[in-house]
Amino acid sequence: MKLFRLCYRKIIDIQSRKAWDKMVFDDTHLEFYMQAQRMDPDGKYSTFQELSDNVPGADQLHYLASTAAVAYIRQLKDVVPDIANAYGKLCLPFKNFRFEIVESHITDKMKHKIAIWFYSDPLTWIDTVNNQLLVAYGDQREAFRNGKEVETDMISLSPFLSISHITSIAVPNFQSVC
Amino acid sequence: MERKDFLKKGFSALGFAAIVPMISCSNNSVDPETTTETTTGGTTTGTCTTTASETEGPFPTKSPASYVLNDITSDRTGNKLTVKITIQNKNNSCAALAGALVDIWHCDAAGNYSEYGGTGMQSTNYTSVHFLRGRQTTDANGLVTFTSIYPGWYSGRAPHIHVHVYNASGKSLLVTQIAFPEATSALVYAQGVYKSHGQADTKNANDNVFSDGVTTELASVTGSVSTSFELTHTVVVSA
Repeated sequence: MKLFRLCYRKIIDIQSRKAWDKMVFDDTHLEFYMQAQRMDPDGKYSTFQELSDNVPGADQLHYLASTAAVAYIRQLKDVVPDIANAYGKLCLPFKNFRFEIVESHITDKMKHKIAIWFYSDPLTWIDTVNNQLLVAYGDQREAFRNGKEVETDMISLSPFLSISHITSIAVPNFQSVC
Repeated sequence: MERKDFLKKGFSALGFAAIVPMISCSNNSVDPETTTETTTGGTTTGTCTTTASETEGPFPTKSPASYVLNDITSDRTGNKLTVKITIQNKNNSCAALAGALVDIWHCDAAGNYSEYGGTGMQSTNYTSVHFLRGRQTTDANGLVTFTSIYPGWYSGRAPHIHVHVYNASGKSLLVTQIAFPEATSALVYAQGVYKSHGQADTKNANDNVFSDGVTTELASVTGSVSTSFELTHTVVVSA
């Protein structure tokens, strides 16, 4: 039995319509614009790609822009957005995330596009039913070994949702045959 | 290959089949007996994406960036310094500029700045992400106030605070630095957490930023090492 983490890469761009998404979109663009001016005071470059190609340390912009999203991410109360279980309820607990500027433009906000990678807390992988993972939350391996009843959930794999980490039971040591 | 076939094969390849006997429910027992192609309540048929049927939860509220802080001390130690910066607009007869965004940042007692991360993983419950960096918006008097510590120094530079002023839309208006009265810095660096680092090795007159004159960049600093310090400074921008 394995412990694993799911990772959902949520894309937010000009097409995003949910209130949360739009606030993150607007505020991270403003922060990107502000920080890009600090890195490129002469305003030679307009896009994130140009800054990345020409300005040393431009990869800091991912983190710098993320500071505008952190308060919104905390409003999620450690539950991954968009990803629902078989009942249609948000279900995945998380505490770790990664923020990525996919592309952006300092003044043309239409070109701003970011991704937030939500890494779930560890889940116990029990089985796979069609395209759904049968899981239990947290590390339930010991409970299974002891024959206890464990509450489970079923989660579909969907676009931008993937398995990011796996912890397996330690492989037994092979005996020497000398 | 069908997605579910891939999943089954992939999981089997990972040795997952070995635990199947532990699980009482198989694929057949989970599938409803009268499955149709219609979806109910946001569940899935085929390879469609499950859609959450509930609301987004608490309605999101407009929230400031994590830089927006009055007290930027975080976990740093040193003599308390209140930083009061007034922004004036040269294009408006030097009247106070309200609504301007003011970023400041400076080094700690040992001369270190907080790191800027790159693309690494962050945690929702990690609060000390950055120290001695902050942002405030000027009030009707053009004033922003920060609580911090007296900056330390690092080799080759006189003690200073960085300031970046933006208009309310985020357009950069001025990047500047604030210099400190040398006599005050000398008193601070002779005691407390600053003492082991010693006295600054660069005077304002020798500093590559301030050596062209600090007339408009030298702050007024009052207070004492036994109480606290207050810095007041005016920055003039063209807005």
